[in-house]
Amino acid sequence: MTLADATIGSRLKVVSRKRMTSVDGESIAGLGIHIGEEVIVVRAAPFSGPVLVEVPSSGVRVAMGRGMAAEVVVEPANAVA
Amino acid sequence: MRWHEGQANRAGKPLAEPVREVVIALVGQPNCGKSTLFNALAGFKANTGNFPGTSVTFTTSRVTVAGMHARIVDLPGTYSLTPRDGAEEVTRRYLTEGHADAIIAVVDASVLSRSIELTLELLETGLPIVVALNMMDEAGRKGIEVDIPALEARLGVPVVPTVATRGEGVVSVTLKGMAAARTRRSGISPVYDRDIEQALTDLSQIIPLSLAAELGVPPRFLSVRLLEADPFMLRHLEGRMPPAILERATALRQHLAKLHDWPEESVFGSHRHAAAVDLFESVATVRSRRRLSRRERLDDVLMHPFWGLIFAGLALAALFMVSFVVGSLVAGVVQKPFDALANWLLPAATSGIWADIGRGLLDGVAGGAGIVLPYLLPLLLMMSVMEDVGYLPRAAFLIDGLLHRVGLHGKSVIPLILGYGCNVPGILGTRILESPRDRIITALLVPLTACSARTVLILALVGATMGPLAALGVYGLNILVTAIAARLLSAIVPGNAPGLLMDIPPYRIPPAMAVLRKVWFRVREFLVSAWPVLIVASVIMGVLENLGVNTWVNSALAPMTTGLLGLPQAVGVTLFFGILRKELSLVMLFQALGTSDVTSVLTAAQLLTFTLFVTFYVPCISTLAAQVREIGWRWTIVGALLNTGIALIVAVAARFAMGG
Repeated sequence: MTLADATIGSRLKVVSRKRMTSVDGESIAGLGIHIGEEVIVVRAAPFSGPVLVEVPSSGVRVAMGRGMAAEVVVEPANAVA
Repeated sequence: MRWHEGQANRAGKPLAEPVREVVIALVGQPNCGKSTLFNALAGFKANTGNFPGTSVTFTTSRVTVAGMHARIVDLPGTYSLTPRDGAEEVTRRYLTEGHADAIIAVVDASVLSRSIELTLELLETGLPIVVALNMMDEAGRKGIEVDIPALEARLGVPVVPTVATRGEGVVSVTLKGMAAARTRRSGISPVYDRDIEQALTDLSQIIPLSLAAELGVPPRFLSVRLLEADPFMLRHLEGRMPPAILERATALRQHLAKLHDWPEESVFGSHRHAAAVDLFESVATVRSRRRLSRRERLDDVLMHPFWGLIFAGLALAALFMVSFVVGSLVAGVVQKPFDALANWLLPAATSGIWADIGRGLLDGVAGGAGIVLPYLLPLLLMMSVMEDVGYLPRAAFLIDGLLHRVGLHGKSVIPLILGYGCNVPGILGTRILESPRDRIITALLVPLTACSARTVLILALVGATMGPLAALGVYGLNILVTAIAARLLSAIVPGNAPGLLMDIPPYRIPPAMAVLRKVWFRVREFLVSAWPVLIVASVIMGVLENLGVNTWVNSALAPMTTGLLGLPQAVGVTLFFGILRKELSLVMLFQALGTSDVTSVLTAAQLLTFTLFVTFYVPCISTLAAQVREIGWRWTIVGALLNTGIALIVAVAARFAMGG
């Protein structure tokens, strides 16, 4: 499962990043979405636009393009907790 | 610190002089309130807004606090010292080229754990640092309490709580920054795990000290950059760093990635993140987070896939309609006394060069006060509120999907919306875009957007004669044409659009003073630079008329103006002046036609044709200059041709559609 196809509103844990350039990877991390971090996909934009990802630990919200979101692998957060 | 002194000497700043002006750089993540803090210190000089990437270049100002002088530099926001775009690179370069004596690290206390990560990186530069813990009010609302002495102890630098919007703590943090610059004491660099520290030591030992000195940073900082494979730093070091060191760095990097089972580039980022979270947990307590739910409810509507778009459309229409209603009301009131004065001073029968000059002068003054300002003021006021509240990134989120269909991405919407205010900041705003392709396309599209000067033209010509709905129609057409041009350009300019990645800040209620100061900042730009040009050009036009030069220009342009567009020959000169400033076309039109009641001379079709042509043709000189700077001569010429081509097609189409 990736951030692009995750259920809206469910708690997720970032597992890994697929094919992503180091700059993109760093950018995502810079915005607060680190590997191992818990995130929630809050909403999705129309016309297969970006998804809005919240990082509950800091309250940060980030808009992420669908293409990039499809590179971020996640799993349900309660599966590990 | 040896490296620092070496750098100061290279920059030619004499060290021996005891009262040398210190340079303090404001550094922080996007939208943490750096520019607001800067403005609180320096008066309104830097643009502010509640969206990431408001500052793309740096603004500097001399300030005097408690009798001490310093130069404060407001650098573009950056999430980390590994830059992602041109604006972020400005900051990194500034810091690693030894220009700054001290840093005020502006930290958004409401997202402390993320915001402090950059501070941890800044500590590695070895520069003296003072932390401005900003947005304390918002942190308070989110229930976040920070133990300031504990944070100071952990970072080894002074921490000053601030609320920049209200000016709280601003003087204190500046004084501490000045003191830090003089004592040159740096804070505590973050310590990584044993393996990383070992690698850093290995690498730092083989990095030539002279190179570190030349770059004005400690060897440890360079080692971190190398191990992070920072692409910008690698490019910067190309040919200067011995290849053996680079190879060693690569080997160590791969070794560390394998040890930690992380992607190579995120070893340091993850450590810093862990350190920041640890720091946050030990110095801050979170009580409640009631505030978040209110923002959520508002976003349920404003970011809703359907209602959000409806709202965006309505907001744009409201912006336009209110400007029109207020503008036309005020214009009507202001214009009359000017007309009366003109008739009294210079009765229509008066002739001669002085009468022409006098008439030009009056027209220029009246045009600014009676036509441009009434429409401009409400427009700027509403745009400022929209920017400061934080609506723009939400609009970008909604429109991103649609923009992808025309080959752009949602972040481009921010320069484009800024373009509706004035094209120049719109073009500078393209620096927030990561790919050169997007920057070029967006910088070519911005001049198509109807800036406030052209909006005034649309409102005063089409709106006042054919009604506000017709004006709104012109605006709608403008958006449609911009979209079509985007589609065309993205097919022509090679490359593809990368994904959107953007912080969505919380809504903020801007203090009234901040909004008013910002409006004044922009109105002053009109008063100081545009209005005088308007008056001078108007006088020149009077003289040209007297000398008969304008008839020469008019007949030279006649094939286009009368032949293609079906307009009176007299408008030729106004188009020519419009290249200086778009408002000129409007004021000149009244002058060229000899009346402010244009409906008596032009038909509705002619008015529409003229307005459309002026809206789309070659942008004003300031915009062209900004384009040359951002995308170069060649693309600027392509853009000017494109604009004129579009202007001709749209205007001729309107002429025939209206049966002109």
